Amino acid sequence: MSVGFIGAGQLAHALVRGFAAAGVIATHRITASSPDTDLPTIQQLRKMGVNLTTSNKETVSRSDVLFLAVKPHIIPFVLDEIGPDIEERHLIVSCAAGVTISSIEKKLQLHRAEPKVMRCMTNTPVVVREGATVYATGTHAQVEDGKLLEQLMASVGYCTEVEEDLIDAVTGLSGSGPAYAFTAVDALADGGVKMGLPRRLAVRLGAQALLGAARMLLDSEQHPGQLKDNVCSPGGATIHALHVMESGGFRSLLINAVEASCVRTRELQFLADQEKISPAAIKKTTLNKVMQQSGVTAEVAGVKTRGINMFNTSSPKTNKN
Amino acid sequence: MSVGFIGAGQLAHALVKGFTAAGVIATHRITASSPDTDLPTVSGLRKMGVNLTTSNKEAVNKSDVLFLAVKPHIIPFVLDEIGPDIEDRHLIVSCAAGVTISSIEKKLLQYRTAPKVMRCMTNTPVVVREGATVYATGTHAEVEDGKLLEQLMASVGYCTEVEEDLIDAVTGLSGSGPAYAFTALDALADGGVKMGLPRRLAVRLGAQALLGAAKMLLDSEQHPGQLKDNVCSPGGATIHALHVMESGGFRSLLINAVEASCIRTRELQSLADQERISPAAIKKTTLDKVLQQPGVTSSDNIYIIPALSQK
Repeated sequence: MSVGFIGAGQLAHALVRGFAAAGVIATHRITASSPDTDLPTIQQLRKMGVNLTTSNKETVSRSDVLFLAVKPHIIPFVLDEIGPDIEERHLIVSCAAGVTISSIEKKLQLHRAEPKVMRCMTNTPVVVREGATVYATGTHAQVEDGKLLEQLMASVGYCTEVEEDLIDAVTGLSGSGPAYAFTAVDALADGGVKMGLPRRLAVRLGAQALLGAARMLLDSEQHPGQLKDNVCSPGGATIHALHVMESGGFRSLLINAVEASCVRTRELQFLADQEKISPAAIKKTTLNKVMQQSGVTAEVAGVKTRGINMFNTSSPKTNKN
Repeated sequence: MSVGFIGAGQLAHALVKGFTAAGVIATHRITASSPDTDLPTVSGLRKMGVNLTTSNKEAVNKSDVLFLAVKPHIIPFVLDEIGPDIEDRHLIVSCAAGVTISSIEKKLLQYRTAPKVMRCMTNTPVVVREGATVYATGTHAEVEDGKLLEQLMASVGYCTEVEEDLIDAVTGLSGSGPAYAFTALDALADGGVKMGLPRRLAVRLGAQALLGAAKMLLDSEQHPGQLKDNVCSPGGATIHALHVMESGGFRSLLINAVEASCIRTRELQSLADQERISPAAIKKTTLDKVLQQPGVTSSDNIYIIPALSQK
């Protein structure tokens, strides 16, 4: 089985590193494409033995499971380009926040009757094989396709199937979650440094405390509140600390964060569903690089010379100006 | 080597679970003592095969490394009781927040010229072998004693030696840290549930996200801010979320928490250093149970509880 990545940025890099560490697929069976060869992640992918190309079409032809690992607003552009090259064997897995299965199926159905599409939301700790991934299965993908994806993603962390309409909430929670944690550890380390600890030790202890607590919760049947109670001895240091956190509305800030991320995800989805990509969203140099790939013509890429109607779903031969 | 615990509560239970999972010591070589046999942790320890006793003296006799795993205000009481029973071989390791090595040595020097004392600050994730422990070495403990303790504690997580005067700050950070995390996880799950996730999935995903991020940080040379940047795609969901957190002073709350826990630890240390344990701090029933132990007479406690002295 071969795996391809459209996009060679943070997400592709993290997944490849995780898969390679898990030994679930050999790197020479992985291809990744990106028009931008300057990305730092590209160097690292190359060092890992991944086949790199600037041609999305090449990635498609060399893979069975194809991850779409580009930013959400790029997805329609990519689908227009690779649509004609999708074969029956292909399993398309979109990792793009806010991009619905139905929007992807709609585009691919211009070229193929039953495109196998899945949607997943993962997160960067896949790079250390402690990711959190959920996925939903599209109309024409089978249960075995789900099992295949689950096998891949379970090798790099927790993975479970969900209803598609939960994915935006998952984005807000575990998709964005690592950023909340990095911010928290930075602040905890500041606290430690304020009270006299050297920085490196403070970062180490803060991260270790979070990791240990999370591991306890995952391994326990107990409520997080019960675990919190167990750590708060009467009149002790910890309950004093918790009071100042509660006084500042700590919990509420985290609820707000999950909500804000989820709401923004739905916003992005809504914008994408309107199906108008402004030429302002693509760099001219990037577009030129794509057009230089063999097999890509202006019509095939759905791009007009004046760069306006990226979502022209009528016949590619129509020339609108 | 045998290990003893004075105290059979949360900390003793967590350490024993971790040590046994790590296979670093067999449970039949562990003894734990507590006057209170009703503690839920006591039955947990018994089930693991630990020798349980109501006699602190028995725990001392059966061990080489002796952990003091009782609440800080109980420490002086315990030291007065077991002081006469400490032998040359004993390594006393206090886990009590805010209790200084010098205060322990001072008490034990009444009975022994060179008591080997160490002080550590650990945390409950030792129970899953992901603890965070620091230790400081007392006047008469040797480097090998430090290495022995480090071997034990490193089997259940991260362990490093520090200067004793950093231990209060460590208490505020990684000692109390798990409570900050449990609170955060409860709130994150609430956020997930608000946006439509079932509770179990929300708790699972929140905990997994924190765990994964912490592991990334520990495995990386990069600054947490750089790792945060890497997750924030332009105009994306995550940077929107971070903005609302910053607007509410999220970082400041965590700095406040570390500071509050550290300051309270120093307060407790200051109270303890005043060396007056109010009888109000010990339950009469507990005291009676202790006095019923073989070898314990009321005169052992004369420094602490004059009101109860039978003289």
